[in-house]
Amino acid sequence: MSLVVGNGLTHWFGRELALEGVDLVIDTGEHMAVLGENGAGKTTLLRILATMLKPTSGQLQIAGLDAFKDRRRLRHYLGYVAHATGLYPALTAAENLEFFCDLQEVSRTRVEESLDAVGLASVARRRAGELSRGMQQRLALARAILHEPRLLILDEPDASLGDDAADLLTRLMRDRTVVMATHDHALANRLCQRTLVLRHGRSHGTASRLRVVK
Amino acid sequence: MVPALAQFIVLALLIGNFGFQIDKQNAPTIAPGILWLALVFAGLVAFGRTFAAEREQASLEAMLMTPASPVAIFAGKALAASLLLVICEAVLLPALTLFFGTPLSGDVIFAVLLATIGMAALGVMFAAIAARVRARELLLPLLTLPLWIPFVIAGGQAVQSAMGLPGNYQEAIGLLIDFDILFIVLTSLAARFVLDE
Repeated sequence: MSLVVGNGLTHWFGRELALEGVDLVIDTGEHMAVLGENGAGKTTLLRILATMLKPTSGQLQIAGLDAFKDRRRLRHYLGYVAHATGLYPALTAAENLEFFCDLQEVSRTRVEESLDAVGLASVARRRAGELSRGMQQRLALARAILHEPRLLILDEPDASLGDDAADLLTRLMRDRTVVMATHDHALANRLCQRTLVLRHGRSHGTASRLRVVK
Repeated sequence: MVPALAQFIVLALLIGNFGFQIDKQNAPTIAPGILWLALVFAGLVAFGRTFAAEREQASLEAMLMTPASPVAIFAGKALAASLLLVICEAVLLPALTLFFGTPLSGDVIFAVLLATIGMAALGVMFAAIAARVRARELLLPLLTLPLWIPFVIAGGQAVQSAMGLPGNYQEAIGLLIDFDILFIVLTSLAARFVLDE
């Protein structure tokens, strides 16, 4: 069953065309990688899928709901990790997550579970600003899974994660539908069943993992 | 932030005290003007920092990805900024009495607190708009100051009459309440458009 259905997704930033007529269908439980050069439109597409950016034209349905009319409702289903970690540096790792538990309307018991899931339980009481870039990225991932989202949208999540990035992401992506932008074709091949290639904002089709290896 | 603002307020009052020839007769005429000047500029600094953490760390986006209503986020920010301004006023009002010898009455405090509510609602809304642009330091005062003028006029009139100068205190307070209601309603309606993409 399709969780995400997008038709003709187009977005203009002023006079600049960032995304042109992208169609995509993502099935429940599927992992899709979005590949492309810098400026290809990956982040724009991901922000549209995360309902953070309304496309200039095109339709998007997530879990059968109109992504923009019902976006407040849909946010219970979505987890998004952007380029910037979006953490509060003066708060500890646990306090950052507690704050977002309250905003997500989930129990604070999820804090410990999420920190465990990303391997940050030992630094729960350290300020986010004192953590390394890789640890901050893990904390951003922990925040994205706090509310057990059905659809996880990851914008270059492997950036600064280190050697065990693939293992960590494999664990977090299990039993979830995932859309992930990355420059790393090998990682995309390892973690995702399908890839969507973008060039200059246009979709150059989807491919199976074998096609990407070639 | 609070110590820096307190220092700014004391310095503004000190400059006002030395800049004018203050005596018992003219103090109630000059002090309200200095009070509102110090409050307006302290407010601009305070509201300029309202979305600083979110801007620097891009955490507003993470917050908006939650089911929390943009109006609730806006109200939380406005409350925090109001509290900061109230702390500034807790320094400003006694310092005004100290430097200018004007009476510190409940009427003065009430007028200043009423003005704070509407000023905070407007300040936070424009801070949210300005946070998205590069020239935010210039844009925030340009947007905010013209709409703070009604509060300065009505608040100034209320404070002057509370300090014993001619004027209708009740009328000025009534105007402040009207402005508060008007701008709270308008900014609440605008909040979702300002915070959402």
